[in-house]
Amino acid sequence: MKKMLAIAMAMTMGLGLVACGGGNDASSSSASEPATEDSAQTEEGDAAEGSESDAAQGEAPEETPSAGAEYTVGICQLVQHDALDAATQGFKDALTEELGEAVAFDEQNAQNDSNTCSTIINGFVSSGVDLILANATPALQAAQAGTNEIPILGTSVTEYGVALGIDDFNGTVGGNISGTSDLAPLEEQAAMLQELFPDAKNVGLVYCTAEANSQYQVDTVQTALEGLGYTCTQYGFSDSNDLSSVVTTAADNNDVLYVPTDNTAASNTPIIDNVCRAKKVPVIAGEENICAGCGVATLSISYYDLGVGTGKMAAKILTGEANISEMPIEYAPQFTKKYNATICEDLGITIPDDYVAIGE
Amino acid sequence: MNIMNLISALPGAVAQGLVWGIMAIGVYITFRILDIADLTVDGTLCTGGAVCIMLMQSGQNVWVSMALALIAGMLAGMATGLLHTFMGIPAILAGILTQLGLYSVNLKIMGKANQAINVDKFDLLVSLRFIKGVPFYKNTILLVTLMIVFLIVFLYWFFGTELGCSLRATGCNDKMARAQGINTDFNRVLGLMISNGLVALAGALLSQYQGFADINMGRGAIVIGLAAVIIGEAIFGKVFRNFGFRLLGVAFGSIIYYFVLQIVIWLGIDTDLLKLLSAVVVAVFLAIPTWKSRYFSKPAHKEGV
Amino acid sequence: MLEIRNISKTFNPGTVNEKRALKNVSLTLEDGDFVTVIGGNGAGKSTMLNAIAGVWPVDAGHILIDGEDVTRLPEYKRAAFLGRVFQDPMNGTAATMGIEENLALALRRGQSRTLRAGIKNQEREVYKRLLATLGLGLEERLTSKVGLLSGGQRQALTLLMATLKKPKLLLLDEHTAALDPKTAAKVLETTEMIVNRDKLTTLMITHNMKDAIVHGNRLIMMMDGNIILDIRGEEKKNLTVEDLLHKFEEVSGEEFASDKAILG
Repeated sequence: MKKMLAIAMAMTMGLGLVACGGGNDASSSSASEPATEDSAQTEEGDAAEGSESDAAQGEAPEETPSAGAEYTVGICQLVQHDALDAATQGFKDALTEELGEAVAFDEQNAQNDSNTCSTIINGFVSSGVDLILANATPALQAAQAGTNEIPILGTSVTEYGVALGIDDFNGTVGGNISGTSDLAPLEEQAAMLQELFPDAKNVGLVYCTAEANSQYQVDTVQTALEGLGYTCTQYGFSDSNDLSSVVTTAADNNDVLYVPTDNTAASNTPIIDNVCRAKKVPVIAGEENICAGCGVATLSISYYDLGVGTGKMAAKILTGEANISEMPIEYAPQFTKKYNATICEDLGITIPDDYVAIGE
Repeated sequence: MNIMNLISALPGAVAQGLVWGIMAIGVYITFRILDIADLTVDGTLCTGGAVCIMLMQSGQNVWVSMALALIAGMLAGMATGLLHTFMGIPAILAGILTQLGLYSVNLKIMGKANQAINVDKFDLLVSLRFIKGVPFYKNTILLVTLMIVFLIVFLYWFFGTELGCSLRATGCNDKMARAQGINTDFNRVLGLMISNGLVALAGALLSQYQGFADINMGRGAIVIGLAAVIIGEAIFGKVFRNFGFRLLGVAFGSIIYYFVLQIVIWLGIDTDLLKLLSAVVVAVFLAIPTWKSRYFSKPAHKEGV
Repeated sequence: MLEIRNISKTFNPGTVNEKRALKNVSLTLEDGDFVTVIGGNGAGKSTMLNAIAGVWPVDAGHILIDGEDVTRLPEYKRAAFLGRVFQDPMNGTAATMGIEENLALALRRGQSRTLRAGIKNQEREVYKRLLATLGLGLEERLTSKVGLLSGGQRQALTLLMATLKKPKLLLLDEHTAALDPKTAAKVLETTEMIVNRDKLTTLMITHNMKDAIVHGNRLIMMMDGNIILDIRGEEKKNLTVEDLLHKFEEVSGEEFASDKAILG
């Protein structure tokens, strides 16, 4: 029995290596034929042939592409949190609006494990998807390593030159990569901090050392703030376990805190809120979801809108209207000054009229 | 849900499995031969990747970079070894302390949390791109398989030398080893150095494969390494008696782990359940020997089924 | 050959578990002495042996082997001139390694271990011959894993390993205690044979009074961390078990209350 099993394993591996040899992007078109038969026999709750795409609901298991789907888009999202989810949602909504039933999504979440990104990308490449959405930097990097043919659109990536190792980045990546950047206008954020807290002296900059994007933002904001006369100190934490103690130290020693668009902070805003509100220290956040969780105000981009922008780019690429190697990185369409009404009230902060309350 | 998609995804899974197989062999040395649960590997994997990427970015040849990554791993292993033998800290804690310290070291090596290496710009040895449609001498699967075979041959020879035998004795019965004049402290440090050197080498390959080195890339690595060792033993334990083949079994275990992972993703199962499923798979493999002896062994007096 | 001067060892000093295991013990062994050591539980016999072997450092005193002060030498370095057999048959051999590999390890005791081959073909012939003298059939099973052997076989193997390279001192810590009577007798017989053949200086701890009298040219009795009796030569040859018990009562004022020792 053991020997049989060992032989079976060897054969499977041999089969895998055989699949290696042939070029098999052709499999994607033949793939849709058996898929439709499969879907008729599946016992999933709803009929997969129905016009509704369950992908919009997010939690349902992946549906087989409905009959007649021309394009398959693979979505590799690094981790689950509101901003990334919103970007994915915006992307899907925009693409569905442009191309309707012709597009099907294969949505995968890497559970914050960069190694899993490679496995997911490998799956996409082998099944010959028509486009890959890489949501967050490690996903983008894995996608780049995985293919130089399939178009890759990044989103929720702050700096493409840094992420992809491109020197003298000029705004267009070229090749098969483009996307949208969530780079918030950092100088304006510093200005907003001054607008709300002109009398503050010390600003603490809190960020996760494991995230390259955060370091970059914190450094830029620090330069801007110091230019405005504040004394700044950086407080780095390594993961959600030391977040609490680091934020406590930061709150004890500073008048205002700043948190950039940091994935780990975004996943743990309650911790930051508990510490800072109790100490009556306001937090300026780099994006809306962090602000909604623990911040006073933010110069927000909407990740949903970012996703929509990415979706529109995707539609153009899929229909052949545009060539991805010529598309420069796009930035969020607009910035809004937003504030968190509850926390502001709690801390007794008056917000100027041109701010918009974050609708909860 | 198309079986052809799965089959064409298998080579990628095999490649990933092979790279992690090198790491699993490193874990096997400390876990099975020396009987130490070495948690340093979570940090060492990233160290190997970080050193390799930074050296290649500064223009070094890929082989030199990987060799230096291996040495960096050996230094990490030495740190754990000294904490354990010289300072008397229990092995598990020593590993955790080194891994903790390595977080900062790795950040300093990379300069930031994540460093990319562009496969188009650098002459990488292995890459997710080099699995299909490349000449055979560049094919990642072939290259890593050759590396593993070479490694196994080397280790087989090494553990047959006087020094290697004394290492095995240290792990098997350290009282007896000392009574035979073996410096067990030195051997433990040596074993940790060899093991972590291998893990760092795997890290160097992995970072090239996925195109970046990331501060968190080693997180949970020890679990994958142990899973590979255990899966390999559960399936191939009876078939492979020879030490060299047992190391091969470990590499197979790693490939199987990544097969299962790829299947799970292909099935489209909710990826939130990914880690739970991995745990279940490993648990099942761990239980196989127990179940076999309880439910499937044939008592002599019963009529056979 | 061996000189122990005033060694003392206390375990867990200052706690409720404090045990003064060795109190100022002194002992001198001449070349070729075969000394049997008896005593009740907790008398300090194993402790003395462990102190000589260097398992842990002594609190006070000196240990000299052939005139060389080894008190500060770590255990694995002392192993170069010691042979040891433990009470637990599991402790003396490496279970996952083969018989010939274990013997090969023993052959290299005291040498630095390099990248030379772990075992050479010529050695195998030697091992076969030596294993044959044990009479246990082990010479046919050179590559069998030691874990498959019985306790008595492992103990015999450990004995062989301890004496493969003629040690300056052979330490036997109740090495037949865990074996059944028949195997124990066989192992003792082998011990006697090897010790006489190689004229080894030996310290043997035993719980069996009769064995202690029959074997060896000198007998030591310990109690409470001290040596209370030291009998040699003719006097020892003519001892009987009752004599020993009387002597014990004389010296210590207590009855030697150990069934195992008396009944044998």
